[in-house]
Amino acid sequence: MEEQKYLQFEKYNQTTHRIGRLACALMTVLLLGAPFVIGWRYGAMPDFGAVSRAYLAIGLVWMISSAAEFLIYFPMLGAGGSYMSFITGNIINLKLPCAVNSRDLVEVKAGTPENEIVSTISIAVSALVTITILAIGVMILIPLQPILQAPVLQPAFDNVVPALFGALAYKYYRGHLDIALPPLLVMCILFTLVPGLISSTSMMIIPSGALAILLAWLSYRKTNGGLQ
Amino acid sequence: MSVVQNLNSSFMYMLCGSIILVVALICVLFLVRAWRAGIAIGMEKEKMRRVVVSSAAFTVLPSIGILLGVIALSGSLGVPWPWLRLSVIGALHYETQVAQAAAEASGLSALSMSQMTMGAFTTICLLMSMCIMWSLILSLIFGKAYSNRLLKVKKGSKKEGSPAGGGFGDLAMTAMFVGLISAYVGSYIGGLISGNGRFSFSGDWMPLAVAAVGALAMAVFVWLYEKKKHVWAESFSVAGSMLIAMIAAVVLKMIV
Repeated sequence: MEEQKYLQFEKYNQTTHRIGRLACALMTVLLLGAPFVIGWRYGAMPDFGAVSRAYLAIGLVWMISSAAEFLIYFPMLGAGGSYMSFITGNIINLKLPCAVNSRDLVEVKAGTPENEIVSTISIAVSALVTITILAIGVMILIPLQPILQAPVLQPAFDNVVPALFGALAYKYYRGHLDIALPPLLVMCILFTLVPGLISSTSMMIIPSGALAILLAWLSYRKTNGGLQ
Repeated sequence: MSVVQNLNSSFMYMLCGSIILVVALICVLFLVRAWRAGIAIGMEKEKMRRVVVSSAAFTVLPSIGILLGVIALSGSLGVPWPWLRLSVIGALHYETQVAQAAAEASGLSALSMSQMTMGAFTTICLLMSMCIMWSLILSLIFGKAYSNRLLKVKKGSKKEGSPAGGGFGDLAMTAMFVGLISAYVGSYIGGLISGNGRFSFSGDWMPLAVAAVGALAMAVFVWLYEKKKHVWAESFSVAGSMLIAMIAAVVLKMIV
């Protein structure tokens, strides 16, 4: 029964890769093609010299960041969740916490078929809700603009990410203080001594995550009596 | 037609809307397949329904924040393109930065509608797409191989006697997330201490204060569902904590 379940899941997973890769290829063509379609329509093609200069200035940073995102998020989100997240974006502030929250809510273990299903459903629903809200928002943008852009509300929307990470910090730190405190301390020292790093916080996820995983491994070995 | 009219033309809405529609269809396809696969491997429908409800509830607030990003960019790039960018691969913190760099490289002194030309606009569009699509390209080329390698590692750990995906795999995922949160919380603390010069203690305190309120609110939600057994509190704990922390940001700004 368990074997049949894994075979069925394996078949599902392979098709997910096929559809996911096809979707990635399609989106790459559509996104790179759109500026040229606009250029053709209005007789103003992109300036490749300007694109190259700006890419060297800022694009390389995002290239490394994207590669890191691919390596980090793929194991966390599973195949289906990753393909959709990379297509729809807003991973760190929305898709990843949403998937982890769902995983915790229904208590599935990482790496299991159930986790893959939950992650995919969670991210698909999240992406569809965002698309719907943005579409509705765009439709009523004009009357909505004065309310949402009211200066009094700006601090709320400027601080969506800290609000999220504060809430998640409590949830994840309790019960894992031995794993959480050292990376937090190291990050505090690093950002204090080298404040220039604050603008590249996403890059610092790698050493912080690596340290947390190392501590988790040591803790796991200690609890489970060596490499058993 | 002026540049403003071009950027907000029905052609632009149709082009961007069509691409967003394709993305929505891809998401529906993944959702339906995952739901059916879940039933096939014996998952309870009730569990999957809870995932749908909690994910939708979780997404509403951040999506309004993303909508604000569309509004913010609409002043310089029109409405349709920011709508597309923030629906596909986009990220709030990314778009403005790249658009600004592309505008400067195109010879504009600022990312502003008053200076915008159609040539500069298509250049900005191309750069915004190029810079952020590497995770898409890497997924396209290496996604399957990377995923299969991860599965092999998990199968290996199963042979060693631990349940599939349980044991260290589960702890490693939690640790990765803890590391991620630590990087951001660390940046808020570092920003407060050295944001305006090393050890000046005059940096932006707001992110840290908002994060602290978020953590406190989460503690209350956890207390409600763990100690008081209010099941509803678990589903809305993250979204509710965020909302409270965001309201706190408004209040703190008014007071201080």
